[in-house]
Order: sequence, then structure tokens, then C-alpha cells
Amino acid sequence: MSYVTGVVLLACITALACALPGVFVVLRKSSMIVDGIAHAVLPGIIVGYWLTHDLDSPVLILGAALAGLLVVLGNEWLSDTGLLAGDAPQGLIFPALFAGGVILVSMDLQHVHLDTNAVLVGDLNLAVFPALIVNGVNIGPQYLYTMLAVLVANAAFIAVFYRRLKLTTFDRQFAEVLGLRARLLNTAFMFLVSMTVVAAFKAVGAILVISLLVVPAATAQLISNRLSTMIVLTCVFAVAGAFAGFWIAYVLNTGTSAAMAVFYGILFVAVAALGKLATRIRRKRHAEAARAVARGRSEAAPVAGE
Amino acid sequence: MDPFDFFGNHIFRMVFFGTTVIGVAAGALGAFAYLRRQSLISDVIGHAALPGAMLAFIAAVVVFGVDGRSMLLLVVGAVITGTLAAMFANAVSARTKIAIDTAMAISLTTFFGLGMLLLRIIANSPFPGKGGIQDYLFGNAASITRADLTTSIVVGAFALLLMIVFWKEFTLRTFDPVLSTMLGFKARVIDTLMFTTIVIAIVIGVKAVGFVLMVAFIVTPPAAARQWTNTQPGMVMLSAAFGGLGSGLGAYLSISMGNVPTGPVICLVLFAIFLVSLLASPNRSIVVTAMSRVRARKALLREFTPGGGTQ
Repeated sequence: MSYVTGVVLLACITALACALPGVFVVLRKSSMIVDGIAHAVLPGIIVGYWLTHDLDSPVLILGAALAGLLVVLGNEWLSDTGLLAGDAPQGLIFPALFAGGVILVSMDLQHVHLDTNAVLVGDLNLAVFPALIVNGVNIGPQYLYTMLAVLVANAAFIAVFYRRLKLTTFDRQFAEVLGLRARLLNTAFMFLVSMTVVAAFKAVGAILVISLLVVPAATAQLISNRLSTMIVLTCVFAVAGAFAGFWIAYVLNTGTSAAMAVFYGILFVAVAALGKLATRIRRKRHAEAARAVARGRSEAAPVAGE
Repeated sequence: MDPFDFFGNHIFRMVFFGTTVIGVAAGALGAFAYLRRQSLISDVIGHAALPGAMLAFIAAVVVFGVDGRSMLLLVVGAVITGTLAAMFANAVSARTKIAIDTAMAISLTTFFGLGMLLLRIIANSPFPGKGGIQDYLFGNAASITRADLTTSIVVGAFALLLMIVFWKEFTLRTFDPVLSTMLGFKARVIDTLMFTTIVIAIVIGVKAVGFVLMVAFIVTPPAAARQWTNTQPGMVMLSAAFGGLGSGLGAYLSISMGNVPTGPVICLVLFAIFLVSLLASPNRSIVVTAMSRVRARKALLREFTPGGGTQ
């Protein structure tokens, strides 16, 4: 597999693996919790890397994902105390964890070479090394298969729990009345999200992964009224962004993930603006039609009661 | 390290006073964000200030031909993009069906992505003075100069002055937005002013703390202060005090411990203050609530058991 194919494929698979759970993240209004998770996995990744010396190691991915889960559970705990207002619980735990991570990086434990810049944005162009070679044939970057496994895990979870996820997302109280364990499902789902964030971290970094998770799904939400439509559109937007991001980064000679994030943002604004325009045109047409009907009625038939 | 050595050193003094000023301003203004239940907007603003700082750098070098790391230009650029990002998030949630938290996430990553693009472009460019520009991400308190400190104090004082002048309007808008509009105060003007002051408080922390961790300066002190007081002035003053105290102590600790970055240490100190407040403040805290619950349960038991007391 050539280098460029490897990078583009990796970008596509990573985008899809993130965007798929992103649909439910957006619908469940947990986007800023994902922001917290993305920051909080940093200490988990550093400690994990210190222990395993391998960013692709499953132990590291699971361990760091637990650090992300701390934010989710901590947020629930702080909210349950009833002592804090608004969205403050979400903003209290992750900065502390992230600060711990930055301190660990700066202390250079056992010469863990993690550049703080790479921590934030990752580097897709480096993530394609090393390649996986089977029987002497280069079948693409090893990391591609890690992300592919995450994509399959996400798709499988959503497929298996589709109805439950749908029900707890749209009507949590009803789901609980039916006896569904909404909180357990939520914790499992957030653990999956956390795992995805950790796995994608090497390619896109801790902060821009939020863009891959949230923005394609939000863009799809703008123009869909059905969950199935939203999922399909999300995947389309995610892949489009991967190609566009790679191309922009290639032209400007910058990072692919940052370019993807900017492209997703522009796409969101464009779709939102077009949606508004379409609504306005539709409204105008309806108003004209209504006026025409009213005019016709007043000319043709006298109003009842005259 | 003993305090005399500490305050005898010019750099240490700068770090200490610089971070304390930032902590006081962020704590006081964070109280309003907290009471409006929009603490996380500070996370959006912090990340979104990055492209502004980068654009200010490019503008300074290319257009004005001055040092790209001038604090004043940096503050101006960062205030502009930070305010834009906050307004963008609010506009998206008001005009589309996207929820506010998703709108904030979109705003945050898009602006931050743009900032990282610009950062890479600057790093690839031959611009003079680009070294150390990566410090904007996590901050480098040791890079605070006397001029930076002056700028921080002046700009921070300006934000606090705005807060004092518009105290009545801000408070009214925070606690009763409908009444405030009915009395004729323009909601949009007050909101813009309030968010601008919050943005200013965040942006002056850039050099010392970095964009990514500024959220802790806005969210944590008010959350701690809320556990001790029930009044608005008390909240703002205590929050400012916690912010200043935590920052000063954090700066002192980070320098004493040697090669440890200041911003993250302050973050941890603030978090410790918050935890203590949440667990053990005298009026409303986890321990006090639990204790009074136990006491109430015992009293109830006494009342209902014949013979009054032990079973």
C-alpha cells in the first residue's frame, strides 16, 4: 500500500470510527462531556505509555479509557450532590486530570517522548508508520487496523443495543419505567466513546478528536428528522471531511487533523446556512400559496353567514 | 524555598504577582459565568483565543513590524476570536435545533483547529520571534515580563472596573433576565459586555497558564466559593480571593519544586480548594449534610420509639 493511500484510508477509518458514536453523543447532549474525556485521557495515556511503551497497546487503550470514564462518573457524582449549579460539574474534574497529565509530560518520566503539541493535535502523517507486513506484502499501516477494530467495536455495540440506545436517548424516563438500566447503558456507551478517543488520539490528538466525534453528527442533525437518516448522513460527512482535510493539509503543508476540524466547522456553517435559506424559501412559497387560496376563496364563494 | 529568596528574585516575583492578578480577575468574573450556569463557555473561549493570538502574531510581524509576542496585540486578537466563538455557540443554539453543549463543542474545536493550522503555518514560516509561540498552549509563567505584568494588571483592572460599573445590570440579568428586559435594559448589550469581561479575564492568562487550562481558573473558584456564601457580593469576592490565593500558592509551589510548569500546578491547587469546600464547608457540604442527616434520623428514631431512645 502506498504512503498516500495509507494516510487517506487512515483518515477515513478514524473519522468513521469517531463519527458513529458521535451521533448518540450529540443526541444525548453529552458533547461537552466528550470534551472533558478527551482532556482527561492524557494522564491515562502517559501512565499507560510509561508501562507499555506502545501507543497501540490494547492495555494502554483500555487503561486510558478508564481515566476518561472518571470524568463521566465524577460528573454524575458532582451533579448528584446537588451542591453545584449549571454545567460547572463538567468543568471541574477534567482540568485537574489534564493538569496532572501535563505535569507528567514535563517531568519526562522514563523519557516518554510525547511532544505536547502532538498530544493536542496528533499527527496522521506519522501515525501510518510502521506498516503491517504479512507474508512480505505491505497491507497498510498497523495503526489502520487498530482503528478498524475500534470502528467494528463501535458499529457492533450500536447494532446490538440500537433499540435501547434509541429509547434511552429520546425518552429516558420511559426507558427507565420499562426497566431498562439507562445509567448502566450510558456508562458502557461512554466507556466506548472514551476508548475511541484514546485510540484516535495518536492520529488526531486530544482536542481535535472532539471535532471528529461531534461535528459530522451535528451537521447531519441539522437536516434529518429520522435517526437512520442522521446516521447515514453522519458517515457521509465524516468521510468527505477526511478527504477534504487531507487535501487542505497537503496544499497548505499543515496537520491533517487540524485541517479536518476546520473543514468540518465550515461544512457545519454551510449546511446550517443552506438549511435556513431552504426554510425561508419554503415559508415564502407557503405564504404565497396561502394568499392565493385566500384570494380565490374570497372571489369565488361568499363567506358563510352572509 | 524560603520566602525571602523567593521574593528577592525578579522572575519569581513576576510569576507570583502575574498569576495572582490573573487568578483574582478570573475568579471574580467566573462567578458571573457560574451563576448564569454557563461555566463551560470559558472552555470554548480559552480554546478559541488561540487563532486570535496567532493572527495577532502574524499581524504584528507582517503589518506592524513589531515583536509578534507583544502582550497587548495578543490580548486584542484573542479577545476578538474568543468573543466571536462564544457568540457563535450562542447563535447556533438559538437559531438551529443544535443543543447548546454541542454548539459549544463545535465552536471550540473549529476555532482551535484553525489556531493549530495557523500555529503550524507560523512554525513553517521564516517569521522572526516565533520561538516559544507554542507556550501559548500550556503557558510558561517564567516568560512573564514586567511589561506583560503591567498589561495584565491594566487589562484585568479594566475588566473588573466594567464589572463594578455594571454590577446592578449584570446581577439583574443573571438572576432575573425577564425583569431586566422589562425594565428596559438591552439584553444583547449586557450579554456582550458580560461575556467580553469574561473573555478578557481568560485571555490575560494566556502567557502564564496557556489557553487549555484557563477553564479551571473560571470554573473552579466560584464552585468552591458557592459552598461558603449565599450572597452575590460574597460570592464574587470569595471567588476572587480563592482564585488569587490558589494562583499565588500554585506559583510558589511550582517554583519551589523546580522544573514543574506553573499553570497545571495552580490548576491542582484550585481543585484542592474546591474539594475541601465541597467536602467540609460549614453550611452546605457533603460532610455537613451527611452529619445533619444522621442527626435527624436519630432524632426521628427517638421520637418514635417508646421509652425515648435506645431500642
